Amino acid sequence: MLRLEGITAGYEGTRVLRDIGLEAKEGMATVLIGPNGAGKSTTLKVINGLLHPTGGRVVFQGNDITKIPAHERAARGIASCPEGRRLFPLLTAEGNLRLGAYSPRGRAAAEETLASVYDLFPRLRERANVKAGRLSGGEQQMVAIGRALMSKPTILVLDEPSLGIAPKLVSEIFEKIQQLRKGGLTVLMVEQNAYQALRIADFGYVMQEGRIVMDGPPDRLLDLEDLRKAYFAIP
Amino acid sequence: MADFVALFLTDLVLGLLLGCVLAVIAHGLNIIWGVAKVVNVAHGEFIMLGAYGAYFLYLYGGFNPLLSVPIDAAIGLVVGMGFYFGFLYRELRGKESMGLQSELVTLVSTFGLSLVIVNIAQSIWEHPVGILWSPGAAQVGPVPVPFGGLYVAVVSVALIALTDLFLTRTYLGNAIRAYTQDIPATQLMGINPTVVAAVGIGMGFSVTMAGGALLTVWLPTGIDPTKIGILYAPISFVIVVLGGPGKMWGSLVGGLTIGLIINVGQLFLGGSIALATAVAVLTLIPILLFRPEGILR
Repeated sequence: MLRLEGITAGYEGTRVLRDIGLEAKEGMATVLIGPNGAGKSTTLKVINGLLHPTGGRVVFQGNDITKIPAHERAARGIASCPEGRRLFPLLTAEGNLRLGAYSPRGRAAAEETLASVYDLFPRLRERANVKAGRLSGGEQQMVAIGRALMSKPTILVLDEPSLGIAPKLVSEIFEKIQQLRKGGLTVLMVEQNAYQALRIADFGYVMQEGRIVMDGPPDRLLDLEDLRKAYFAIP
Repeated sequence: MADFVALFLTDLVLGLLLGCVLAVIAHGLNIIWGVAKVVNVAHGEFIMLGAYGAYFLYLYGGFNPLLSVPIDAAIGLVVGMGFYFGFLYRELRGKESMGLQSELVTLVSTFGLSLVIVNIAQSIWEHPVGILWSPGAAQVGPVPVPFGGLYVAVVSVALIALTDLFLTRTYLGNAIRAYTQDIPATQLMGINPTVVAAVGIGMGFSVTMAGGALLTVWLPTGIDPTKIGILYAPISFVIVVLGGPGKMWGSLVGGLTIGLIINVGQLFLGGSIALATAVAVLTLIPILLFRPEGILR
């Protein structure tokens, strides 16, 4: 479905990513874990097109999309839930959701998708007319995920969905992501909260200092003693 | 005393009517500045071009200023988009947001544009020219209400309402509002930032030039290229700041405030419009001190 091949990227001269290769397979939940500053978010920016790599290829559904701008990638079905959520604070919750359906594939079915997003997150139906900037962290995350879903995506790319929200809501958000994946959506997720992320994943990659250092099915990654020590702080 | 009441009411009504047209010319700036984040120092010159547009349509087509509004608006849309691609596109392409540096680039480039336009205009048109259009007036009690000013006020408010509907009810309009808040996030929604910026700026120029056409009704001494830009650009900036940049109805609130202060104010300032205009501009100080986000919340 989505593949990175030998990606090298960075910001203004500093190289952040070195030779990154990974694949998000269709219908699966793939997670990318690793400590702060490992380059996880940068990897997602290469995927959604906000950062152009200096080397390597991004392949989506068999097509090389390395040179395609971010807005066209979104229109092709790569929906992003970016780091820090990046909602439009002055638009209402529903205004944010509706904008998610901007591209033709989303617009055609906007009303139905909106109803299904409200079914997934009933809380948002009550908060529909509240400006996004006034929502709680958890509600904002729901809007961000809902907004990404509004485009009727082929793949949902999530950057740290557990960041900055109440612990009680974290497991709820993960449950919903799992629910979406069971509904057939391909998911690629970056998380610092590695333990919970791996529990809902089909495959995992571990990043460290701009490289992929390990990969494998989640139970194998969870078993690795050194990984536990390094990333999960589980003695 | 009865005389004074009649004068007061007349100035009140005229102030409101003038306020509407001031609102619409400031509205163009509000869109360009508040929505597209471009500081258009050449704003006054585009008001002037709109006024000349109305003049030539009157001269060669017999159009009254109201009829030239849609044509001026269409020209403004094209001019605005041309301005975006000619001056701003290369600077803004790939930018995550309008930083201070980009705003300065817009400021300098529009300042240059303003000098070019005003000097060309002054060398072509040496004398003020005017449009002869007087649809009459109605007497309401002691107050004469000029139909010209009334029609212009109605069209002005309608234009503001239309832009507000466009920005809040359509996909493209909401995309423009989103662009103001977070450019990379709009891209993740599948929105092409170049298209959105071009439409936003085009729309601002469109309203500005349409406003210039409407303003001609309020220029009894004709269109004077040495005066329009100098007078109406600062007033527009004041109105936008009063109402709150980026707030569509803020233009109307600011415009009515300034219109009233100028017209009613001169009644108490010995009939001096210049002094009343100075007072109107001074209202900026308390507003910036106590409500920097503008009158509208």
